Amino acid sequence: MRKILRIYKPFTHAGFLLAAQYRVNFIFFVFGDIIRCFISYFLWHAVFTSGGNNTFMGFSEVDMTVYIFISFLTGIVAYSDGSYIVGEEIRDGNIAMRLIKPIRFDLAFLFQELGERTVTAMIIFVPMMAGVEIYKFVVTGAVGFNIWCFLLYLVSLILSYLINFYFNVCYGYSAFVLKNLWGSNLLKECIVNFLSGGIVPLAFMPAGLGFVLNLLPFASLTYIPVMIYLGMYDVPTILMSLGLQVFWLVFFIFLQRIIWNACVRRMSVQGG
Amino acid sequence: MKLLKKTHRMFKLHRIFIKQDLKRLMEYKIDFLTGAVGMLLAQAINLFFLSIIFSQIPSLDGYTFEQIIFIYGFSLLPKAIDHLFFDNLWSIGYFIIRKGDFDKYLTRPVSTLFAVTVEKFQVDAFGELVVGIAFLCVSIPKVNLDVNLINILLFITAVFFATFIFTGIKLITSSIAFWTKRSGHITHMFYMVNDFAKYPTTIYNRVLSFIITFIIPFAFTAFFPASYFLGNGNALFNIGGTAVMAIVLMAVGIFVWNKGVSSYESAGS
Repeated sequence: MRKILRIYKPFTHAGFLLAAQYRVNFIFFVFGDIIRCFISYFLWHAVFTSGGNNTFMGFSEVDMTVYIFISFLTGIVAYSDGSYIVGEEIRDGNIAMRLIKPIRFDLAFLFQELGERTVTAMIIFVPMMAGVEIYKFVVTGAVGFNIWCFLLYLVSLILSYLINFYFNVCYGYSAFVLKNLWGSNLLKECIVNFLSGGIVPLAFMPAGLGFVLNLLPFASLTYIPVMIYLGMYDVPTILMSLGLQVFWLVFFIFLQRIIWNACVRRMSVQGG
Repeated sequence: MKLLKKTHRMFKLHRIFIKQDLKRLMEYKIDFLTGAVGMLLAQAINLFFLSIIFSQIPSLDGYTFEQIIFIYGFSLLPKAIDHLFFDNLWSIGYFIIRKGDFDKYLTRPVSTLFAVTVEKFQVDAFGELVVGIAFLCVSIPKVNLDVNLINILLFITAVFFATFIFTGIKLITSSIAFWTKRSGHITHMFYMVNDFAKYPTTIYNRVLSFIITFIIPFAFTAFFPASYFLGNGNALFNIGGTAVMAIVLMAVGIFVWNKGVSSYESAGS
C-alpha cells in the first residue's frame, strides 16, 4: 500500500497543479451550470405554489431545494473524465506510451484525477454546503445540520466518485472498438444523468421502475449520497445502500481488469 | 446588382462548405447516429420530467401542460438554427485563437466572420430541430392558437430574430478571446442562461426576470414570442422586442468582432 502511494503520488501532484492552473475556467463553468440549479429551484417553487400541497410525492419544498443543489454538488465532485481521457489516448495512440511504463494504467489515471478533484472540492464544496445549510436555517428557522448524515454522505460521496471513475474507464475502453467516442459519450451522459437521479429523485418514478433503478449502479452515483444527506434513509437502509455501493465498486474494478486484459492483446495503435 | 451577386456567391460557398462537412461526418457514421439518439433522448427525458410535475398539479403558474410544451418547443427552434449555422463561434473562444489558427481566415477573400461560421455545419442541431417541431405539432391543436397567415409570418419573423439573439450573445462573448486568447468559459456562462427561457418568466423573482429580459435577453428567444401566440401580450413588445434585441446584439457583436480582428495577434509558433 505504501509503495503504491509512493509511486503514484506524483500523479496526484500533477493533477492538482493542472486543475489549479485552470481554476478560473472551472469557476466560470460551474457558474454557468449553477444557473440550471436556480432554474430548477424556481420551477419547483412554482410547482409547490401552484399545487397548494406542502409535499410533492413525499418531498417538502425545502427537501426538494436541498436535493437540487446537493445532487448538483455531488455530480460535480464525483465527476470523472475517465471515458474522455481513455478514449482520447486510445484514439491518438498515446496509450502506447503508457504501456511501456512500469505503472498500472488505471491507477495512474485515478491518482491524477484525485489531484484534480481535490482542487474542485476545495473551490466548490464548502461554499455550496454552507449555502444550502444557511438556506435551510433561514426557511425552517432551525439548525437542521446533522453531523452523522454529513459524515455518512462524505463516505458515500467518495464511493460514488470511485464507482464513477471505474465505470467511465470501462466505458472509455469501448474506443478500442468504436475509435471515436463523441456521440456515445453524449448518449451515456444523458442516460446516466437520468438514471442516477440527477433530474428527478428516483422516488418520483413509477414503483416498479423505481425499485429496479435503485439497485442499478447509477443510483450509487448521485441518488444514494443525496438521500443520505437529506436524512431520508433510516439506519438499515443506509447500511444496505453503502453495501450496494461497495458491491458496484468491486464489480467495476474487476470488469475494468477483465476488459483491459482482453483489449490490450488485440490493440492496434493508429499513427502515434 | 453587385449586392445580389455577392449574396449569390456567399450561398454558393456555403453549399460547398456544407458538402465538405457532411463528408467528414460520414467518416464516423455510427458515432454521429449515437450522438443524435442522445440528443433526442435528452429532450424525451425533459418531457418525462414535465409530465411527472403535471401529474401532480393542474397548471403551473397559470400555464397548462400543453402551453408549457408549446413554449418549450418554441425555445428549441432558434437554438437549433443557431446551433446549425453558427456553432464554430464556440471554437473561436475555445481554441482557434489560442492556437493561432485564426491566421488562415485572414488570408481568405471573404469576411472573417463569414469564413469562420461557414466552416462548420453542425448537424447535431437536427435533433433539437426535430424535437422542437414535434413539440409544437403536438401542442398547437390543444392551446387554442389561431393558425392564419399573419400568425405564420409573425412566427417565422420571431424565430428568425430569436436565432440572432443566440448568435449575437455568442459573437460578443467569443470575440473577447481576441484580447484574452480564450473565452469559451465566458460564452458557456452566458449561454447557459438560455435555459431560463423555456419556462414562463413569471415564475422567477424580479431580479432574474429583469436580467433575462433586458440584460441577457434570452426571454425574447422563447417565452415572450411564444406567449404572444398563446394570446398574452402584444405583438409590438413580444415580437418587436425580439427583433430589437437581435439587431442590437448583432450590431454590438459585429462591432466587437471587427475591433477584435484588428487587434488580433497570432499566438506563438
